[in-house]
Amino acid sequence: MLKTIKPKTARSARALKKREPKIQENQKTAIFLRGHKTNNIINTALSDLCALKKPDAITFSKKNEILPFEDDTSLEFFSQKNDASLFVIGNHTKKRPQNLIFVRMFDGQVLDMIEVGVVNAKSIADFKTPKCAVGMKPCFIFNGDLFETSEIHKKFKNMLLDLFRGQTVKSINLSGIEHVISVTAGSQKDGGDPSTGIVYFRAYSIQMKKSGQRIPRVELEEMGPSFDFRFRRTKFAKEDVYRAATRVPKELKPKKIKNIDVNEIGDRVGRIHLGKQDLSQLQTRKMKGLKKRTINEIDAMDIDEIDKEDEGEEIFPNKKQKV
Amino acid sequence: MDVSAQLETQSSKYKPITVEKPISLEFDLGLLAGYDTNTLDDQKLKSKNIDEYLKEYTRDGAQLLINELFKLPVSVEDAGVFAQLPDVTTVLPREKPIPKAKPLTRWEKFAKVKGIQKRKKDKLIYDDEKGEWVPRWGYKGSNDDGANDWLIPVSNNDDPYEDLFAKRREGKKQRIEKNNSRHQRNLEEAATQQNKNTTTNPRIVATPNQRSVRKAELNKQVAISKLATASIGKFDKPLEGEPKMKGVKRKFEPTIADFKKEKESNLSILKRVVGQGSKSDGGILNAIANTKNNK
Repeated sequence: MLKTIKPKTARSARALKKREPKIQENQKTAIFLRGHKTNNIINTALSDLCALKKPDAITFSKKNEILPFEDDTSLEFFSQKNDASLFVIGNHTKKRPQNLIFVRMFDGQVLDMIEVGVVNAKSIADFKTPKCAVGMKPCFIFNGDLFETSEIHKKFKNMLLDLFRGQTVKSINLSGIEHVISVTAGSQKDGGDPSTGIVYFRAYSIQMKKSGQRIPRVELEEMGPSFDFRFRRTKFAKEDVYRAATRVPKELKPKKIKNIDVNEIGDRVGRIHLGKQDLSQLQTRKMKGLKKRTINEIDAMDIDEIDKEDEGEEIFPNKKQKV
Repeated sequence: MDVSAQLETQSSKYKPITVEKPISLEFDLGLLAGYDTNTLDDQKLKSKNIDEYLKEYTRDGAQLLINELFKLPVSVEDAGVFAQLPDVTTVLPREKPIPKAKPLTRWEKFAKVKGIQKRKKDKLIYDDEKGEWVPRWGYKGSNDDGANDWLIPVSNNDDPYEDLFAKRREGKKQRIEKNNSRHQRNLEEAATQQNKNTTTNPRIVATPNQRSVRKAELNKQVAISKLATASIGKFDKPLEGEPKMKGVKRKFEPTIADFKKEKESNLSILKRVVGQGSKSDGGILNAIANTKNNK
């Protein structure tokens, strides 16, 4: 745990303020680290993944004695020091050759970790094709029903989305969609052991061709990197911690508009409250017999008059009367 | 010539933008993501042409995703056509916890109760004497309390031998000090408030930070440390501003007194040490014998 720093200058105070928790969070920075031993495949894999994540990526090229599944304190240190919450750690041991560990942090602590082995790898440099520009938002395509059913696949999908999503934007330039990251889940053996299935990670650049319509025809060209992953160890967050991490601030929740709904067809439906109708003021057909009179007035009237009314002489009221 | 035939020739010039899938894709357009849950061809995944297969498969998905993106409402700007993205639907965890509301200072609490609103004040105010605009506070500010006056008139109520310049300076100093102490108090109270709200990080331990709590704790510890000497701290060097100990007195029994009482008190001590709740002397002795045997 680092000592809490008290800013001495206004500049450092501003820098510290930037690191404080925010309602609308900034992009997550990722750190790409090497373990105590790596090989060429892992090194290029790290630098290629870093190239996809740039500009919110920090690479450390020296070796680090880090074993995240055994001890995560050094990760906490790295996270706090660099204000980063994503890690990709590569190492290569006899027991777990060509190992990549994806780590996510919340509140300066490890939230979840997924370890994968790299079965096959091709670097970006192996593909002599046009690459996307730095900092472009990628498209994601996740293929396979395992990403909906298997817990580890779900988490891995979430982790990759979190890692490469880039800036949160309200709108996007349609001509700026340049590449797509495709992750495909290969089938597992009957037992459903996730380490038996392979996950294919591919990155393609998008070419939009004319289609004679407004929407273009999409053609892909592989730009790299390309990996075949196999799941190894995992460590997921406890439910209460995960719930705390996924809480949405009150300010960002969409405000509920009363009495306006959208029905299944997509129409906006409003409900109007009119209050209780005052029926005592209701205007009914006007007749002399229904007129309000005091008892004295009735007494004063002729019997003939009452008879006339009963015969219904004034059923149709005078049009000049107020209605 | 028939229009439909024309349309056909037009469309046959280009490849199609439609894709047929048994299960339609789910989209999270805020993230530009498409989730395809259709079953993949296992044979092709295991074959050598897997890269080709994956590329074709992804192209179909990407085409559907692009179709959806191009259907979104757009706005035309200088840089190009911008599609308005909907909110992200996939739940992604945050990096840091939701910020807690800053604890109010004593003034803010008071102002809230009284309904006092903050007003924006101009930085410069007009000085009638000088005939120019001066800052409200700070360097050459209007609230300098007449620090540059070369003369202060002594009114009838003032002590004629008092240095009024020094008095002013002292007054300002004291006001600043008071403000600082209030600020400090606000900070301490805020810290206590925040420590009460436990964080998810167990390494940050909640500690009482409030001045009064700490003060009470310290006084308690000083009192305990006093008991360490036989004179209960009577001859210790007193600390600065140390409160006088209350209710702590030590009585000494006279050297020669009632033998029966002394015996009783000693036995009670023995009872307490050995325990067992024995009633007679014989019982205690038995207990002692037992403990000896046990050893």
